Amino acid sequence: MDAYLIAIAIITAIYVLMALGLNLQYGLTGLVNFGVVGFFCVGAYTTAILSQKGVPQYITFPLAALLAMAFAWPLGLVSIRLREDYFAIVSLGFSEVVRLVATSEGWLTQGVQGIPGIPKMFGTFSGTTQALAVLGLLVVFNLVAIAAMLRIVRSPFGRMIEAIRDNEEAVKALGKDPAGFKIQVLVLGSALTGLAGAAYAHYIGFISPEQFIPLITFQIWMAIIMGGVGRISGALVGAIILMVFLEGSRFLRDVMPFISEVAMASVRLGVVGLALVLFTMYRPQGLMGDFTRK
Amino acid sequence: MSGFLELAISGLMSGLVIGLAALALTLVFGVARFANAATGDFMTIGAYAAVFGFTATGSIVIGGLLGLFIGAVSGVISYFLVFRVLEGRPSVSALLASIGVGFIIRSVLGVIYGHGQQVFQLPLVRPWRYFDVRIQPNDLKIGATALLALLVVFLVLHATPIGRRMRAVADDPMLARVSGIAPRKVMFALWAMSGAVAALAGVLLGIRTVIWPEMGWEMLIPVFAAAVLGGIGHPVGAVLAGVILGVVQEIATPYVGFTYKLALAFIILLVVLLVRPKGLFGRVEGVR
Amino acid sequence: MNITRRQTLAGLASTMLLPALSGTAFAQAANFRIGALNPITGSGAAYGSGMQKMILAAAEVVNAAGGAAGKKLEVFAEDDQSQPQAAVLAAKKLIDVNKVQSILGTWASGVSLAVAPLTNDANIMLMNTSGAPALSVPPANAKGLLFRFQATNDRFGRAFAEVAKKEGFKRPVTMAFNNASGIGNADGFKKAWEAQGGKVYESIVYEPNQPSYRAELQKALAAKPDVIVMGSYLADTTIILREWFQTGETTKFIMPAWAGNPDLVKALGPEVSEGIIAVDSISNEGSEAFKAYDAAYQKAMGQSGLNNVYAAMTWDMVIVLALAMEAAGPNADVPAIAKKMFEVAGPGGKPVATFAEGKEALKSGKIDYQGASSVLDFDKFGDVTPDFSVSVAEKGKIERKYVVKLSA
Repeated sequence: MDAYLIAIAIITAIYVLMALGLNLQYGLTGLVNFGVVGFFCVGAYTTAILSQKGVPQYITFPLAALLAMAFAWPLGLVSIRLREDYFAIVSLGFSEVVRLVATSEGWLTQGVQGIPGIPKMFGTFSGTTQALAVLGLLVVFNLVAIAAMLRIVRSPFGRMIEAIRDNEEAVKALGKDPAGFKIQVLVLGSALTGLAGAAYAHYIGFISPEQFIPLITFQIWMAIIMGGVGRISGALVGAIILMVFLEGSRFLRDVMPFISEVAMASVRLGVVGLALVLFTMYRPQGLMGDFTRK
Repeated sequence: MSGFLELAISGLMSGLVIGLAALALTLVFGVARFANAATGDFMTIGAYAAVFGFTATGSIVIGGLLGLFIGAVSGVISYFLVFRVLEGRPSVSALLASIGVGFIIRSVLGVIYGHGQQVFQLPLVRPWRYFDVRIQPNDLKIGATALLALLVVFLVLHATPIGRRMRAVADDPMLARVSGIAPRKVMFALWAMSGAVAALAGVLLGIRTVIWPEMGWEMLIPVFAAAVLGGIGHPVGAVLAGVILGVVQEIATPYVGFTYKLALAFIILLVVLLVRPKGLFGRVEGVR
Repeated sequence: MNITRRQTLAGLASTMLLPALSGTAFAQAANFRIGALNPITGSGAAYGSGMQKMILAAAEVVNAAGGAAGKKLEVFAEDDQSQPQAAVLAAKKLIDVNKVQSILGTWASGVSLAVAPLTNDANIMLMNTSGAPALSVPPANAKGLLFRFQATNDRFGRAFAEVAKKEGFKRPVTMAFNNASGIGNADGFKKAWEAQGGKVYESIVYEPNQPSYRAELQKALAAKPDVIVMGSYLADTTIILREWFQTGETTKFIMPAWAGNPDLVKALGPEVSEGIIAVDSISNEGSEAFKAYDAAYQKAMGQSGLNNVYAAMTWDMVIVLALAMEAAGPNADVPAIAKKMFEVAGPGGKPVATFAEGKEALKSGKIDYQGASSVLDFDKFGDVTPDFSVSVAEKGKIERKYVVKLSA
């Protein structure tokens, strides 16, 4: 039982990392990034490809984060000044193009065959020790990310990005350029997502382009919207709810036999959709949200 | 050369479908001011309803009309239940909710119909040849239907009182309200029209391809690219841009590689946003 | 205070752990635990339920015959959602919570590749129905614990090439859906065709979900082929063939049967579908084992067992596993059982068709289980070489014309 719970905890920690990144982008700055999975994909492939060439993981992990940042920067440069919903679609398109490149450029990514046999993290250990080490590392990643975010929120930079979120026009009127700050935020958040991608690749051990579909992006969105936009605790709680929901449906069939097995995938999708709709309508501040603000 | 022309015709057909869907998107965007990501799923609903009507009656016309009707109803219902409540909130809220609405639609269709394909059992015919160029009779019918639908939409927009009110609200909601236009009624008409147009795009796509729950959602990026290219809130622009996009995609992909067809739509979108954010035909609007 | 807390903890731990430990110890003595990990939802949903039910049904048959090596089979079923991430979590649950000693019935190649490292670590077997070549060799098959009951993509390609040769085609082109299976089939054909000295005149790879495939089709037809070999699925094949008919060309098509099936013929109508050649790995249909499987499938799913080749494979998985257990004896560990897998199914022994028959025959010597899905002779990679059926669509019906046998 323990190993299964640790496995769930590891996947949850990976989702929390992504949710924190998105929380920085959307929750604190108001950036509608629908391309989360694109950066996740870049991170995963970076570390997978380098590991195949024998590069050690303490180098590939930082490189995964760096490369995700390197992808975020030009995207931000060309599209960050657009209206927020335009940026949303552009970033969604970006993530699809990343997936297409991973599919088509077989010389680099082994294309549709995917990359099998990605080495594990802490491969010198085995069994529960190894799993706990992985979980421990991810917890450290998350704690560092949270600490950094708390510092950001309290810094002048944090006040600036929150001001951009709440009233971009006022920021402009004060003579500051919001675009520069937004690009920085996009790049920072993508680093977390890229790191999450690297951890995912080494944990699952096999990646292929069809794992990086926009559904992942919307699952992370569901997590932060349910948890509470703009709250660090929200990212955590949201990711946990998401995971309980995704894995819980495994046990749901035992108690809800009237849902046919084949319909289950559709039901899962429908619940994600319903959660998105109901939360945006009735509880935009999320479960952990700041109830004084709307 | 004849091959080139045939590709252009094929692109024109795809482009009309994209253009119709972009029209549905741009109608809502122009008035409700958000990108309705469920547009593609309204297409899917329309296609399923049409195939249901077609199978039941054997008439593609009745099936198509049923598709349009159900599409219009879905538009109105989603407005009434969701988007009406979100009026006045940031456009991102409505965008997120529309993605949720799309998920729910796909989920319901998946539960009812499963993920297997449905098809319109229409007779296929060999092409006519004019000077070595193959003309497919079915293309002509699809093209004629699309053009007829566009004509009706533009007549409604420009020659009926409700259409004038819609355009007034799109131009300036405050002014429209001051001049005594009831916004609710306009919104109902708008969502019905957008739903029906999307459904028609879905029916035509369904006739050309196959019907399955994700068919509309998969079109979202080209459709959005066309709406932006045409200038958001600009109906004629949306359709023309859809056609341009369809033709460019079809003609260019043999050179850039077939797997990058979707990427081409994305790059066109990006370039237009950078160079001319108000679109090819759009009026100046606060895009940046 | 400190002591009591520690005592409480120890007490808690023992109450939680002891039953678990003793439970597994007991279970290992009495039962052999099998994880049925199948694509109940996702892209494999059409087959998954049938596959899972056949694992359960075959386990019942084995248990009714008194179990294998003195043990009853106990099945734990999970859905892999046809996705690697969900499959990894499900496999973790099966291995760690249910303590299964073999995982049976993964379908998507991505799923099998993602689950293989876990089963290897746990030193248990993974039996799959995937096509990817990577599953034959390390790192996936590092310990010889992987068994594949389906033909590899390469073997499919070889079968396509055999058919193309037999039908006398000279100028083939390939069109492939852009995923591992589509490209695997097309490349497998190309390799086999060129090995026979032929030439492939154009190879097209296309993305799914397009509003039209005319540009792709035009490029394929520009090479003036006499046959188009497809690595495709139902939806895209439907669209491509409709567009092909409307170009007025008269090319022939060879395609896998999951694309060229009765649904395709129905969607296209008799005129368009006339002459389509569909190739499929087939179950061992004349065999006694197939009759037993077919009866079980009829009972569980209410339709003929011919509708789901993968279900016949999962049926065989359980029977072969049980026979290997019987042959290895009551004290054998899983790697020892895996070695016996080659032996009880391989050639040279007395042919048997059911578990009960095999169990009896094992007492007096070697056996050769002739499966429901194929004759099941595993090569050194744990792969099988089933026969292939060739069906042709004529007048709105798709019917089998002949069978192609590959040399192993």
